[in-house]
Amino acid sequence: MQSYISIENLAKSYGVVSAVKNINLGIEKGEFFSLLGPSGCGKSTLLRMIAGFETPTSGAIRLEGADVTDVPAHKRPTNMMFQSYALFPHLTVGRNIAFGLQQDRLDRSEIRKRIDEVAEKLQLTALLDRKPAQLSGGQRQRVALARALVKRPKVLLLDEPLGALDKNLRTETQLELVRLQRELGLTFIIVTHDQHEAMTVSTRIAIMKQGQVLQVGTPSEVYETPQSRYVAKFLGETNVFAGGKAERDGNVLSIESGEAGGHVHAAFTDRIALDAPYWVSVRPERVKLATAGNGIEGIVEQLTYTGVERHYRVRLKTGATLDARRVNHGAESDLAIGDRVFASWPPQASRLLAE
Amino acid sequence: MSFVTTTPKKVNWGGRLLIAIPYTWLLVLFLAPFALVAVISLSTVRLGMPPFEPLTAWDGSILSLRLNFENFLYVLTDDTYLLAYLTSLKVAAISTAIMLLIAYPLAYGIASCSPSSRSLLVFLVIVPFWSSMLIRVYSWMSILRNDGLLNALLLKLGLIAEPLRILNTETAIYIGIVYTYLPFMVLPIYSSLASADRTLIEAARDLGCSRVSAFWRVTFPLSLPGVAAGCALVFIPVVGEFVIPDLLGGADTQMIGRAIWLEFFNNRDWPMAAAVTIVLLALLVVPIVYFQSRQSRSRT
Repeated sequence: MQSYISIENLAKSYGVVSAVKNINLGIEKGEFFSLLGPSGCGKSTLLRMIAGFETPTSGAIRLEGADVTDVPAHKRPTNMMFQSYALFPHLTVGRNIAFGLQQDRLDRSEIRKRIDEVAEKLQLTALLDRKPAQLSGGQRQRVALARALVKRPKVLLLDEPLGALDKNLRTETQLELVRLQRELGLTFIIVTHDQHEAMTVSTRIAIMKQGQVLQVGTPSEVYETPQSRYVAKFLGETNVFAGGKAERDGNVLSIESGEAGGHVHAAFTDRIALDAPYWVSVRPERVKLATAGNGIEGIVEQLTYTGVERHYRVRLKTGATLDARRVNHGAESDLAIGDRVFASWPPQASRLLAE
Repeated sequence: MSFVTTTPKKVNWGGRLLIAIPYTWLLVLFLAPFALVAVISLSTVRLGMPPFEPLTAWDGSILSLRLNFENFLYVLTDDTYLLAYLTSLKVAAISTAIMLLIAYPLAYGIASCSPSSRSLLVFLVIVPFWSSMLIRVYSWMSILRNDGLLNALLLKLGLIAEPLRILNTETAIYIGIVYTYLPFMVLPIYSSLASADRTLIEAARDLGCSRVSAFWRVTFPLSLPGVAAGCALVFIPVVGEFVIPDLLGGADTQMIGRAIWLEFFNNRDWPMAAAVTIVLLALLVVPIVYFQSRQSRSRT
C-alpha cells in the first residue's frame, strides 16, 4: 500500500560526504512522525529535502502518490517551522502570519478570517500588531507555528521547534503541539535530537545514525524492543552485557555472561543467532535489587536521589557496573552505599541484540 | 551583613573619556567653525581684513549688536542662487538614483558570493580610494576630452564619426560624481545584505514566494536601512560638491558649491558666502533630522 508520504531510496551527498544514505520511509496521514538522532545524522537534511530546500542526489519523495522530488519549495503543499523561527523582523505578527496567504492571493476578508482563527487558537490575538523583536521566545515560537499552520499545509515540518525554549515551557509546548496536531488532523514531521521530546509527541519515531534509519516504530516499540545496541542506548538508559554460551530451558534462556559475572536470563526468541556475537540489554527500571537471594552480586557504589526515583549504580564483581532504579514510593531507601546486593530481573526484561 | 549586592553608582570614567574624544573633535573642528560661519552670515561686507564688519560695537557706554539679515533675504529671493540650489539638488538626486541602480546589484552580487571571495570584491570596491580624488578627476578629464581616450577608442571602433563632446557638459559631471561616490553607496548596502539572515529567504520560499518575490518582500525591505544610509552618504556631499563640477562641468551648470566659491574668492563677500552655506545646510539638515526621528519612532 502506498503511504501518504513515501520516501524511496533517498540519498543526498555533498561532494564525497553523504549526508543521507538510501533512506526508505513511509509516513501515514495524520501521523506525528519524529526523525530522531544526534547532530550530523542527516535528519535535518532529510527534512529539508521533504520541504524542497535540498535536491536529493538520488531517490524520490512522493506525496499522496505524486512525485514531488523536483517540485520547488514554494510550490509544495508543505510548510516548515524553522529552528530559529525565521520571523520577518520588518513585519508585525499579523503580517508575518498573513505573508503566505497574501502570496496565495487570497482576498482580504478570507485572510483576516484565517488570521483571527489561528491567532485565537494559539493565543496571539493580543499580539498581532507587535513586531517580532517585542515578543518573548515562547510567543515567537507560536507565531512561527501560526505562520506555517495558517497555510493549511498537507504536511507541517518542524525543525527542532522547541530547541530555544526553557525546560518548563518546552514540556508545556510539546503537549500543546500534540493537541493541535490531533485537533487539526494534520501530518507533522518533527526533527529532534531530544529522545524525550520524540517519545512525548510522536506516533512513530525513526531513529537515525550517520545518514541511515536504524529503526522505525511507535515510542513503546523502539523503547521496549530496540533492534540494535545503538538504539537501545540512544533511547533512555540501559545495561548492556556481552552474551556467552546460552542454554535453553523451555521458554527461558540461561545466558552465561563473563561481563556480568554470572548467568542472566532472557525469554527465548529465535530472532537472533546465538552463535554470533550478541548482547543482552536490560533497562535500569526493570532491575530489582535485594540484600539476599538469587542474582548477580555487587556492591552499591552510588546512590542518586532525583525526587521521582532513586538511581543505584552497582559495581559487579567483574568490575562492570549495573544501573538500577526504584520509583519513589515515599519510603526511605533500605539500601546504602557499600551494601552488598543481588540484582535480578524477569527474563522478559532482557533484550537480545545482535549489534 | 547583607548578601544582596547592590551595584554602587560608579562613574564609568573610561567610557566617558572614550565618548569625549570624538565629541571634542567635533566641537572644536566642526561646531566652532560652523558658529563662526553663522556669525559671518549675519554680518556686512567691508573692505579690509577680515572682510566683514564685527557684529558687536562698543562705543564706550553702549554695547550694540548689529545683525544683518539682508544676505539671507538676497539668497532666498535671487534667481541665481535659487537656480544653483535647484541644480545642485537635481544633480545630487539624479546621481544618487544612478548610483543606487548600479550599487544595489553590485552589492547584491558581492553578498551572494562565498565569504572568501567577498572580502576580495569589497577590497576592489575601495581600491580607488588609494589614490587622490583630485588625480582621479583629472584622469577623467583626459579620458573625456574631445581628443581623449574615450573618443579615440570610439572613433577607432567606428562607432562614431565625430568626437563626442562630453567634457564640460552635465554628462561629465554625472560620470565624475557617480565614479567618485559609488563606493559610499555600495558599502552600506553590501553590509546590510551580507548580514541578512538567509533562513528568512527560505521561510519566504516555504510560504510560497518565488525567488523574485522573496527578494521584493523580504530581502529588499530588510536592506532599506543600508539603502537609506548609502543615499544619505552620497546625496549630502554631492549637493555641496565643488571639485567635480568645476573640473568636469561646463559654465552652464552652476552648482551651489561653485556659487559659494565664487562668492568667497572672486567677490570676497564672506557674509554672502556664509549665508549661502547656512541656507544649504538648513536645506539638508532639516529633512534628515525629520527622517531620523521618524525612523527611531518606527523602531520602538
